[in-house]
Amino acid sequence: MEIQIKKETSATVITITGRFDAVTTPQYEKTMNELITGGDIAFVVDFDGLDYISSAGLRGLLFTAKQLKGKGGQIRFANVKGTVKEVFDISGFGSIFQMDDSVSASLAKVS
Amino acid sequence: MIKIEHLSKTYDDLTVLKDITIDIKKGEVISIIGPSGTGKSTFLRCLNLLDRPSGGSIHVDGVNILDAKADVPRIRQKMNMVFQSFNLFSHLSVLENLTIAPIKLRGMSRQDAELKSLELLKLVGLAEKTDSYPDELSGGQKQRVAIARCLAMKPEIILFDEPTSALDPTMISEVLSVIRRLTKEGITMVIVTHEMDFARDVSSRVLYMDEGLIYEEGTPQQIFENPQKEKTRAFINRIRSFNYRISSPDYDLYAMNAEIETFCEKQILPRKTRHNVLLLVEELLQIYSPYLNATLLDLTLAYSEKRESLELVVESMGEALNPLNKNLLPDELGLNIINSLTESIDYQRLDNRNRLTLHMRKS
Repeated sequence: MEIQIKKETSATVITITGRFDAVTTPQYEKTMNELITGGDIAFVVDFDGLDYISSAGLRGLLFTAKQLKGKGGQIRFANVKGTVKEVFDISGFGSIFQMDDSVSASLAKVS
Repeated sequence: MIKIEHLSKTYDDLTVLKDITIDIKKGEVISIIGPSGTGKSTFLRCLNLLDRPSGGSIHVDGVNILDAKADVPRIRQKMNMVFQSFNLFSHLSVLENLTIAPIKLRGMSRQDAELKSLELLKLVGLAEKTDSYPDELSGGQKQRVAIARCLAMKPEIILFDEPTSALDPTMISEVLSVIRRLTKEGITMVIVTHEMDFARDVSSRVLYMDEGLIYEEGTPQQIFENPQKEKTRAFINRIRSFNYRISSPDYDLYAMNAEIETFCEKQILPRKTRHNVLLLVEELLQIYSPYLNATLLDLTLAYSEKRESLELVVESMGEALNPLNKNLLPDELGLNIINSLTESIDYQRLDNRNRLTLHMRKS
């Protein structure tokens, strides 16, 4: 997994590419934890380059979302598609998280 | 008609036939199937005395053909053989290939032999090729001539040793249709073949050979629809499998994934299927992870080319344990994914091992 961080005016955009699995989830959690601890509380996660996610990745997303909730923050997901979307749908994540078709749409909705 | 008991054949240190015992009745059409190198052709060659068995006995109509005094030419007239590579005489015309043995070995007159040969060439659809030479014929035509030549000796038993294996796919059907026609003539036949549909259609009995033995035998329906033994099932369903052992909680997921991908690519499975296999395996390993300190995990991924289906079997040692039991799981995220990827999941406790069998849904 490769993680890129870009700070926009309304939120921090996290772009993840590759695989989000049992091996790479700790990397995501660590990155997010550092950003949240540093004061960031609004995030858009861009899934455009992600081609694999397992339940380990879903747990990582849930863990971070809970951390943010405790701080009154928010997180939106952009470009969830293909097999990643299928895993989201199987797990009911489509109704738990706020998802948009593009990063710009997510950024526009972050309050 | 043919009684074979404890037949064995060894070449130096290599045992090709271990212990073959079988009775073949008059008029039976027996197909011998099985993987390459399991002794099928050697078995036929022993019957025809082209190879001398190392042990056991063969009786044809009560005559011990392994007896030193046995009349081998006479036995071969009675039990003639059709070879994979035709073995025609290239310097003789088609007609001469058919007439030479009846004239020389059976004492037939040339005229009678030629008349009979013409009849047989008509039977195999090659009456117009009497004056051609083998080099002028296609592979399928050569094999049909070889069959006619075999029939010219009026055999009571015909042994076919992979009669279509050397042929282009386009020529296989013309040879099989000739053999198919012969099965209705009441001649006893033993056919070593890789043509499964043909074996299913024409045989009265099918022998599955493996490990130098008749591993399983039965009617075509029994062998092709409901084989009882594991290796027969794997062969019939054209199952290829991949095994991987997890022996530590610190297993290398990516090394295993690479091997699974290679296996799936060899089976030419679509990208989506490969993705689903990797996801299923990862989810299972996540669920098994609390137990990996105490047990080895054996994964077997099996692909049936015939059914186009994938099966994943996970075996673990130790206490009886179905790790997919909801009460044992911290959440159901992994289980939901596993359920969505599979058609059925079966847990069994066998020989102090836990076996989980998952049939994957077609993607």
